[in-house]
Amino acid sequence: MLLGIDVGGTFTDAVLIDGDVICSMAKSETTPDILGGILLSLDRLFSAEKLDKEIIDAEKMRITRVVISSTIVTNALVENKIDQVFLAVMAGPGMSTKGQFPVEPYLATGYIDHRGKVITAEAIDYDLVKKMATGKKVAAVSGKFSVRNQINEKALRGDLKKCNFLKIFSGSELSGELNFIRRTNSAYFSAAVYTKYADFIRQIKKSLNEREINAPVHILKADGGTLPLEASLEQPVEAVFTGPAASVLGIEALKPPSVNTISLDVGGTTTDIAFWEKGQPLMSPKGAVLAGFNTAVRAFHMRSLGLGGDSVIIRTKEGFVVGPERAGRAMALGGRAPTLSDAFITLGLVSFGEGRLAREAMKLYARGEETEKQVAHAVVEAAVKKIKRTIDEMVYQWGIQPVYTVNDIIAGNLFKPELLIGVGGAAPGLVKALGDYMHLPVEIPVGAMVANAIGAALAKPTLTATLRADTTENYYIIPEAGIKAKLPHYFNKQVAQELLTAWLQAAANKWQIIAPVAEIVAYEEFATIHDYISSGKIIYLKMQLQPGVLSHVIGREVAF
Amino acid sequence: MPNLGLVFFPAFDWMISPTHPERQERLLYTRDQLLEEGIFDLPQIREYRPRMASIKDLERVHIGIPSIAKLITPAHLVSAGGCLTAADAVMRGEVKCAFALVRPPGHHAMRVVYGIRGFCTINIEAVMVEYLRSKYGVKKIAIVDTDVHHGDGSQDIFYHDPDVLYISFHQDGRTLYPGTGFPNEAGSPAALGMNLNLPLLPGTGDEGIHRLFDGLIRPVLDEFNPEIIINSAGQDNHFSDPLASMNVTAQGYASLAAKLKADIAVLEGGYSVEAALPYVNTGIVLAMAGMDYSQVIEPDQTALHLQSTECNQRVDQLIDQVGQLWTDREILRKEAMSKCGRQWQRNKSIYYDEEGISENQRETAHYCENCSGYLTIETTAANTRFGDQNAYIVVFNRDTCSICRENAVALALKAKKTGKWDNILIQDKTKSIVANI
Ligand SMILES: [Zn+2]
Ligand SMILES: [Zn+2]
Repeated sequence: MLLGIDVGGTFTDAVLIDGDVICSMAKSETTPDILGGILLSLDRLFSAEKLDKEIIDAEKMRITRVVISSTIVTNALVENKIDQVFLAVMAGPGMSTKGQFPVEPYLATGYIDHRGKVITAEAIDYDLVKKMATGKKVAAVSGKFSVRNQINEKALRGDLKKCNFLKIFSGSELSGELNFIRRTNSAYFSAAVYTKYADFIRQIKKSLNEREINAPVHILKADGGTLPLEASLEQPVEAVFTGPAASVLGIEALKPPSVNTISLDVGGTTTDIAFWEKGQPLMSPKGAVLAGFNTAVRAFHMRSLGLGGDSVIIRTKEGFVVGPERAGRAMALGGRAPTLSDAFITLGLVSFGEGRLAREAMKLYARGEETEKQVAHAVVEAAVKKIKRTIDEMVYQWGIQPVYTVNDIIAGNLFKPELLIGVGGAAPGLVKALGDYMHLPVEIPVGAMVANAIGAALAKPTLTATLRADTTENYYIIPEAGIKAKLPHYFNKQVAQELLTAWLQAAANKWQIIAPVAEIVAYEEFATIHDYISSGKIIYLKMQLQPGVLSHVIGREVAF
Repeated sequence: MPNLGLVFFPAFDWMISPTHPERQERLLYTRDQLLEEGIFDLPQIREYRPRMASIKDLERVHIGIPSIAKLITPAHLVSAGGCLTAADAVMRGEVKCAFALVRPPGHHAMRVVYGIRGFCTINIEAVMVEYLRSKYGVKKIAIVDTDVHHGDGSQDIFYHDPDVLYISFHQDGRTLYPGTGFPNEAGSPAALGMNLNLPLLPGTGDEGIHRLFDGLIRPVLDEFNPEIIINSAGQDNHFSDPLASMNVTAQGYASLAAKLKADIAVLEGGYSVEAALPYVNTGIVLAMAGMDYSQVIEPDQTALHLQSTECNQRVDQLIDQVGQLWTDREILRKEAMSKCGRQWQRNKSIYYDEEGISENQRETAHYCENCSGYLTIETTAANTRFGDQNAYIVVFNRDTCSICRENAVALALKAKKTGKWDNILIQDKTKSIVANI
């Protein structure tokens, strides 16, 4: 049996899944200490059927894995409850890094070029470093092109040991991909949330222990894969944004769409939008954006739009504006200000609360002869148009991802949706209206109320690693593993694949992940030429244990 | 609005041959540098995916023999299409300027095309110019060609066009391919002074090209006051380029881009793929995006030399000589027009270095009082991919009047009657077609 726990901003959900059956679900309010909410959810989960202790204990014994999805890291960032970080970078020549990082970094000496050659060796001004590091518990280091050669970054890390940081994060170990700024920011945010995250992990372990659940615990990552708790301590930044990822996986588990689909998770405050092709959620061509900064965190191609059932409504000269502020509860539920939900209730698109109060809410905005329904229509139209603009921007962003070959161009990259799927409390109203507007069919899967926890419970473990080999320089590097070694005597794509698979397998074993076969997600091979003579090859290979769900489940609706 | 629209297309699956300078890997290190710097994430830059140009787009410029479609690869349609994407981005006001960082290049491709010459099959800037005219009605255009090689293709295509100012600085043709590009090649009588060639001494560096820009190119551009400035942004003036002998640095190129403020830049040559292109391109991109490029410095500067004093002397000489030509252009044009009467003719021997094709061409500009006239071209070529080829060609301009059209068609029919020509072709820019009659 699999246990999934989703610690959201408002609710903490838990589900227990056996095969394709959802055994039980529970919901409780998220508590400031996290722990309380989890414990309450667990207690509700196991007492739902009011079974006696023996049966409950037997059930707990059958749990093989627990997966937590949480917004805790995001919240820490949003509320600025993060640690001060000593950030040291080796930017070398190139674009100015001013304003690219959350803090002004210490600029260490050292430069690696695009072929991985050391142009300048690492060096620091220790007195200055000591001064800048005063009062900082954690550090992050990053160097341009360190994914091609980690020697400077490792040396810098070594030099900083003297400062006795609690933890030092290296950019090139967090991502093997090119993008110095994103890697640096990943390292920075990992450091910034580290102590908070470590504390969170302790809380989780403690609450599970207290409830005698001893199965291995994983955390859900933004890319929809899971990672064992201990492993995630090496990359806390990956645990950000897992809420939206969980909802995407939840949809995949409940009702994977077979056609090109847009899924919308409509909550009280936000709507999370994701794209699907051939039953798979699309991954973002770039990394996630955290607190306004680009990171190397792999994530789904998603947008979180400040628009939900509780969104405030304003009428301006140009028309209605919905969100991004939250008004509180709908007036139909006794709230004080008109919300988007009141408009849906007025139009009969959803049915909760008191219809009369919702209509009164709409009346507040009526001008002249306007009826409540006309007002509600205009409000919904404004909301739908706002979502459509975001969708259009997402289609554009998807369409411009880098294309390197003529074949890519001919293949094209236009995303054409054929279906809308809505989950979350306000989905029935909003997504149906959007479907009318976009002339697309709409599906609202059953069981969508706890989609996030279901997604977490069923998420597959993932690992990603890259290998780059340069046969002229006679070395290969796997940055995520910190490996740089001489090439074997005979080297080609297959050998590269074997080397990388071996490392992924070893890492999977270390973390006790039952690893499926790693798949190739990117491959490039170039002949290098010197003086019109072929001098060698550059091979780039990226492999991954693909994210996804372990099994599909049959949804069921429960009233909480 | 973002400052720069960037169309990046490295064509990793296109090459002339595996060890040719125009091979798959050419923009690999540039791609790596741009990605590693995080260029594509900058809010000042909006990325565009290149579209494919159509055969019609190409036929507004080129007459391919036997046909342009038979001579190109899909990669050519993408690199030309990338230029059109860049042009659209600027003309629609989505970005202030744009850079088509694409390959294959184009500035050695002439109006008549039999194959690849100087690594080029179609002239992607010229295709963009004609597109700007037919789609957006742009009239006055300046092209500043900063490639080390003389852009003989661009010169050929715009030689009769008084509304296109073509300025090229390059390593002196006596020391480098294609061997042309001297100040006396200044345009046909109707467009005299609109083709400004500035051959520099080998070894010229940042100092020389900036002296030339400040002393001549900037004032000429200011006076011409074009609606659009295009930069044929070749990068083989770089001190490490294996094909040429100049001394320009990434800083030299970037600060030139900052001064020039081109509306659209298009990559041309540049074959120091590891030591120069990653830095020059980063520098140009940052400069066009209005960002700080002062730290973009090549790590390896061992091949960089100070330019000799003769280099600046040549620059000063060009500023005088070509400056005078520019100042006197109206008078010179009148003189030349009255001297040649209703027709002006030139003979060309064109060699296609990649394919060993030799072409002989006679081009005649026919003048008219009511319009800009038309061209007739007689061309024969040996050793093409399709054997020996020839054609009699009539080219209508946008404003060619009905009388001229009748006269031209009569000439074409007369040529057909001789039985000498395998192809009788009429290019009509307003209809974007080349028709065989
Ligand atoms: Zn060139
Ligand atoms: Zn006429």
